[in-house]
Amino acid sequence: MKTTKTIFQDGNHKWIAIVRDPDKPNYLIDTNEYLVTHGGQGLLLDPGGAEVFPAVFSALSSEFDPSALSAIFASHQDPDICSSLALWLEFNPKMRCYVSWLWSSFIPHFGGTAETFIAMPDEGLDISLDGLHLQAIPAHYLHSSGNLHLYDKIAKVLFSGDVGAALLPPGDDGLFVENFDAHIRHAEGFHRRWMGSNEAKRRWCERVSQMEIDMLCPQHGAIYQGADVQRFINWFDGLQVGICGS
Amino acid sequence: MTMTTALTTRPSKAQQAGVDLLRIVRINEEIKAVVGVAFKINIMALNAIFLAKRAGTAARGFGVLSNELRVFSQDLRDGMSVLTAHIHACVTEVSVVLQDIRHTALLRQAVEQSSAACGRAVLAAREVENDRHAERLARLRKQLRAALDDAFRMVELGGVLAKSAKIEAAYGQSFAVPLAQVSGEFDGVVEEIRASLESLRRSAFFTGN
Repeated sequence: MKTTKTIFQDGNHKWIAIVRDPDKPNYLIDTNEYLVTHGGQGLLLDPGGAEVFPAVFSALSSEFDPSALSAIFASHQDPDICSSLALWLEFNPKMRCYVSWLWSSFIPHFGGTAETFIAMPDEGLDISLDGLHLQAIPAHYLHSSGNLHLYDKIAKVLFSGDVGAALLPPGDDGLFVENFDAHIRHAEGFHRRWMGSNEAKRRWCERVSQMEIDMLCPQHGAIYQGADVQRFINWFDGLQVGICGS
Repeated sequence: MTMTTALTTRPSKAQQAGVDLLRIVRINEEIKAVVGVAFKINIMALNAIFLAKRAGTAARGFGVLSNELRVFSQDLRDGMSVLTAHIHACVTEVSVVLQDIRHTALLRQAVEQSSAACGRAVLAAREVENDRHAERLARLRKQLRAALDDAFRMVELGGVLAKSAKIEAAYGQSFAVPLAQVSGEFDGVVEEIRASLESLRRSAFFTGN
């Protein structure tokens, strides 16, 4: 079973990270799921693949009533992002799924109906969670051609999907980045190969540099906090991406 | 506390559905082959009619039978269309049942690991849906079996017609040889279809063994 860690809390406004399953088979990439709660509602970010659903569900339900999840935010279309969609919909068939317009007819292959999907335009979207204002911000080509991140201005948390992801070696399972230089070595190959456009990367770095961010939360690896957030943005800005290692 | 059957379902159910899918796929392939042969019969019946007309009064009895064979070939094609529709519905439903089983297994695992109060209710609802799909599959299985029986009976009648045509061919005077050849081919094809349908009726998909 995965564990939950509340990384931000202000009353009933919470960010909960659902991470690190010791029972997960090694052939599945490790993923981080995040739950944002406000009032009586919850928004689950990149809920993960069908194979990890039991672990994510059981961890989430220890913190939150899964039938009160009002929506899922899918940063892009990959199976590790939302192939569990049909299973989540079992608990609340009225749940919505926010996804880039580009993938709004692809992701239904994982489940849902025409009413399930809210197609987000390229420029992003304002999302309200029981009065909490969240912003879906563009991150196209990082790595998917239709890719969005989610920013919470109040919590100063940016969910960054695959940006900031690191493929950590076994045993290196801290929730937060503790030694940036050591950590970033595990992120470099991933970013060079998975991120397809230097121009898109440049624009993203410029955009997020202007935001107040205390925590940058990727879908794989550890969370960047404090000064490590800007350190990461600078590092990413200088990295040549869209390169195959061989 | 009573456990829902979804919590206690044996894993062999998934294996059974997998086996069912393989069986129904094999039946589908066999029926596709039979449909192909049935189409051939239509052409053969048409040839028999032309031949009987050329033979004229010498093959009057054969002519009557060749018309019957033509009607039979059309009925057979209709029967094969019904079979094809049933088999497609069965393949779809077996796939749905397989999906249900995988879906339920993941849900069951999640509910067993979690403390969420809504879990059992969701699992029970899933179970109701699974039962609905299983019942639909059972109905389709029966319909397919009935359609196979109908087709089999029809082909048996076709066999009688083909054998009668063989007898009538003997009275065809100078046309006796080509008429015997046509009716013999017809009989051979009908026998081929009959054997295929007979084997399909014995498929474990229907007996459940």
